[in-house]
Amino acid sequence: MQQRLDHWAERVSRGIARRTSRRGFLSAFGRTLTGVALLPLLPVMRGSQALAAEPASKAATTDPNACEYWKYCAIDGFLCGCCGGSSSSCPPGTQQSPITWIGTCHNPADGRDYIMSYNDCCGKTSCGSCFCNRNEGERPMYRMSLNNDVNWCMANDNPNYHCSVSVVLGVAGK
Amino acid sequence: MWPRATGACLALLTALSVGAAVPPPLPAEHLGLAKLGAASPHWVWVFDESNNNETDMRLYLYDGDAHRQLGQIDTGFWPGVAMSPDGRTTAVATTYFSRGSHGTRTDVLELTDNSTLSITGEIVLPARHAQTIPLHNAAFSGDGRLVYVTNLSPATSYSVVDLSTKAVVAEIDTDGCVLVIPSGPRRVSSLCENGRLLTVTLDQTGHEASRKVSAPFFNVDKDPIFIQGEPTSNGIVFVSFLGDVYGVDLSGAEPAFAPVWPTMTAAERGKWRPGGAQVVTLHRKSGRLYLQVHKGGDGTHKVTGDEVWVYDTASHKRVARWPIDVKKHGGVQAVKVSQDDKPLLFVLTEASDLLVLDAMTGQSLYAEPKLGQSSWYLLNP
Repeated sequence: MQQRLDHWAERVSRGIARRTSRRGFLSAFGRTLTGVALLPLLPVMRGSQALAAEPASKAATTDPNACEYWKYCAIDGFLCGCCGGSSSSCPPGTQQSPITWIGTCHNPADGRDYIMSYNDCCGKTSCGSCFCNRNEGERPMYRMSLNNDVNWCMANDNPNYHCSVSVVLGVAGK
Repeated sequence: MWPRATGACLALLTALSVGAAVPPPLPAEHLGLAKLGAASPHWVWVFDESNNNETDMRLYLYDGDAHRQLGQIDTGFWPGVAMSPDGRTTAVATTYFSRGSHGTRTDVLELTDNSTLSITGEIVLPARHAQTIPLHNAAFSGDGRLVYVTNLSPATSYSVVDLSTKAVVAEIDTDGCVLVIPSGPRRVSSLCENGRLLTVTLDQTGHEASRKVSAPFFNVDKDPIFIQGEPTSNGIVFVSFLGDVYGVDLSGAEPAFAPVWPTMTAAERGKWRPGGAQVVTLHRKSGRLYLQVHKGGDGTHKVTGDEVWVYDTASHKRVARWPIDVKKHGGVQAVKVSQDDKPLLFVLTEASDLLVLDAMTGQSLYAEPKLGQSSWYLLNP
């Protein structure tokens, strides 16, 4: 049941992310998270603006295990690609966090802004490799849906934190 | 010349070989147990986030005069940490797993006697304490009888623990607001996502008696405040991402907000800014405020500081700029000043080096290298 609901949540959030503006998505779903403890779990929108395009290093477009890789513009944790997973998949034996938060990152390779879902991978102790802390649009804990300091494994059966991924949900609306 | 030197060497070897210089054997030792001396205002607690093994976070107690580590308190997985008003007790709200990294989750409030560093008691908590940075997520009531523990599941609330009965007596719904900022014997304030302050007054038993929500006192979109605040004589002071200072008087039934003042000149604003893990500290008696700053734009609020800037909170004037040797120690993650008349400024860096400065002159007094694995926060009573 949990898995089906998670898949439903993912489909819904992807669809909405494609159809709506970032702020519209935030207003619709940012509030949804607060107070929802048991339902699984719509990613929540980060209200940031992607930073204006800056000269990008080669690693920003070619190396998904480099902290400067474009998808990681507001990630805080160990990159799962260095831990047996990838930039969008959790390592074997871990569990994906059903709740998370969403940011907007600029891809210098195609000039587009993308809506990203930052998920934690849970159930094992810290991976310890490729620590990365970037905070473009990140906000303090009182704006929970924009915060990367909390353990997003908090609602997992095993809330131990292992590593983090950054999953493309779709192109950000204008 | 050569034969004479050779002869001298032979004479020295001969003297050594007859045993005249061999010391007597060492006496047998007795296995001891060190004890702490009297608490000093120059002691500081260093929080190690143990980034590579987060189930094993800890607090080190460090003596800023003797320049040595005095002991340790274990703090488990993403704890909230609070010091009692009298400084005698450390409360740690944390999570343990029954099989180390996995198994049954138990959240617990552990109490440690700061004079022995031994655990003296525990209260099991609802398994939803906030697993995040350790600041303002646990706090003692002004009379020391209650401990408040922030919950996040991600629904927001806090547990009220009565230390006299060793029981969780209430859970206060904070309606999306977070943190526990205590004032008086029974008031708790929390920061809300719309820039307001929720203040709940509890009754003597720790249950909610009333609540008030303030008008917004900062702009969450244009210039959010860091959640880390420093105690003032009547409340708490926060600093914003752009370096504005927000004083909050918590001494009355409702909070009162002081006029906001900037730490940055117009030319510096948005170019220099506070950043790191714990960005501000205040020496209450002198009114000196210390802020770690770096050059950077939006999104660099966790970039560590290159300098510590010092302000007089009465005149709002900057009185000093103290560059830090970041090439040697890494940038500044945290600052904390002692509250005595000859205060020390503790500066914790990216390399987990703990720098000890004279808080009045900025003179470097000592640098303790690599105090822990990823030590990013500082606490004192």
